[in-house]
Amino acid sequence: MSNYQISLVMLACISVITVSGVFTMTSLAGMFSLGQAAYMSICAYLTFCLARYLSLPIWITAVIGLAASGLIALIISLPTLKLRRDYFALLSVGFGQMVSSIVILLGDWTNASIGFSKIPKVKGLVWIILGITALIVFMVRNLKYSRFGRMCIALKTDEIAARSFGIDVYRLKVKIYVLASVIAGVGGICYGLRNRVISPDAFDWSLSAEMQILLFFGGTNSLTGSVISAAGLKVLPEFLKGVKLFGVNLQDCKTIIYCLLIIVVINFRTQGIMGEQELDTAALRRFAGRFTRGKGGES
Amino acid sequence: MTFQLFISGVSLGSVYALIAVGFAIVFSILKFSNFAHGGMISACAYIGYFFLSAFETPPPFVVTVIFTTICGVLLALLVDTAAYRRIRRKQAPNIYYFLASITIAILIEQILSVFFGKNLYGYPAIFKSTTFNIGSIRFSSVDTLILVVSLVILAVLLYVINGTRIGLAIRTVAISPSTSRLMGINSDVIIIVVFAIAGALAGISGVLLGMKYSVYPSLGPSMMIKGFIASVIGGLGSLGGAIIAAIALGIVEIFLTYWIGSLSAPIVLFGIMLVFLAVRPEGISGRFAKDKV
Repeated sequence: MSNYQISLVMLACISVITVSGVFTMTSLAGMFSLGQAAYMSICAYLTFCLARYLSLPIWITAVIGLAASGLIALIISLPTLKLRRDYFALLSVGFGQMVSSIVILLGDWTNASIGFSKIPKVKGLVWIILGITALIVFMVRNLKYSRFGRMCIALKTDEIAARSFGIDVYRLKVKIYVLASVIAGVGGICYGLRNRVISPDAFDWSLSAEMQILLFFGGTNSLTGSVISAAGLKVLPEFLKGVKLFGVNLQDCKTIIYCLLIIVVINFRTQGIMGEQELDTAALRRFAGRFTRGKGGES
Repeated sequence: MTFQLFISGVSLGSVYALIAVGFAIVFSILKFSNFAHGGMISACAYIGYFFLSAFETPPPFVVTVIFTTICGVLLALLVDTAAYRRIRRKQAPNIYYFLASITIAILIEQILSVFFGKNLYGYPAIFKSTTFNIGSIRFSSVDTLILVVSLVILAVLLYVINGTRIGLAIRTVAISPSTSRLMGINSDVIIIVVFAIAGALAGISGVLLGMKYSVYPSLGPSMMIKGFIASVIGGLGSLGGAIIAAIALGIVEIFLTYWIGSLSAPIVLFGIMLVFLAVRPEGISGRFAKDKV
């Protein structure tokens, strides 16, 4: 594989990681946040700045970064998750802005808006990122089918009913938010390792919004759907490279194309491409069964 | 100096108030936060700029505002048709409104930045001198104009909401769309009217912001967040609360910028909002839109 293809694979993987983080929060617990990119930012900056200034190996600082983003998520979530869901989404936008302001304020260490580029090179990065992606998707899948996941789905469907069944809604929300933020942090570290430069502008609210968009495109309640749409839609613009329409480079318009796709999906298939379906062996067997049965009916 | 800062704070706050009211009115009816508002503000700022620069001698300010307002209304109706109408008809959960409005916001911002975003545009000056003096105090002409226009618009809006039949219908639909339909109010039409009002507000605030700052694609979204903060502090869905909170926010922001610099202002504002929500989650107005069971 050429370097270009490898970097595309990594791009898709990072997108899958961040979207599965959002999946735990939005699809399982029904919380809508536009601040997940801020956790990517916190984690990436902490990891790479500490690695640079304390000259620690990156594995140690990555753990520190992940722990810090979890801790910050805990601190932020304790007062805000008591509020209505929309307040929470609004606050998360403000939180994202605050984080990028802090990054710029600490410009002496983070190199402000120019971007921090002293990121060490890691050999065989693509295999590491692929491994992490597989691990995270597997974990999120397990989470969905666990008791914890069922509790979350109950919470999402009807908060009051969930409470009456003895689920501690508030604690559950805090837990899932912290978890989602840590996964976003992993995405942030991978992003930094791939791009070798991180800047506060890269992690603004439109990145968080993009994660939500990719999630809803694939199907809110379908992990495989969102993984496929995360990888597919993220890589799609690369195929538009060099294609020109009316004198406009189509790659510049990639976000416009995303948005139009999403509007169409929301209007005509509100539950997303995959809806509630999961693409797993059972679904394949069902599909195959329908196929053979259809044949049998004909004969 | 303090008094001048105060005046420019009130002026900034009154623009925030226009934005916050644009949200609050949509929120009070449909119970979702219309992120697309920011994008519409940017789009209207561009429309106003191109309208002004299309003529040899710039048309009077009033004509520009009226033209942009009409464009804002049309844009809002377009957005409503393209993104919200089908969701409303399907009675899908709120989260889809949220997603649709975010998508529209990003879509407008991207269209602007791909096609017009190469350079910043500045509105042509409409005053001969940028400042004027009353006694020993110096006022900025643009700030004063913005203040006057926003206060007039807000007054008109409050009259429409509180004093007319259509305002009564809007307030009724805000309480319960289905009950108001039983009372003979066509709530679909009212929702469209509300979007049109929000579009008109976006048009006016777009022109005002364009005059105050230069025109760039993320102008609206960055201002929108301030509008959000104001409408959250004011109590989501309450117009009076949003106006008071927005003006207070403008004053606080100007003083913070003067004392500690523009970068720290978002951090302090976020802190204020967090504290405010922890202490008084129902907002200044005290009306708390509860989740329906």
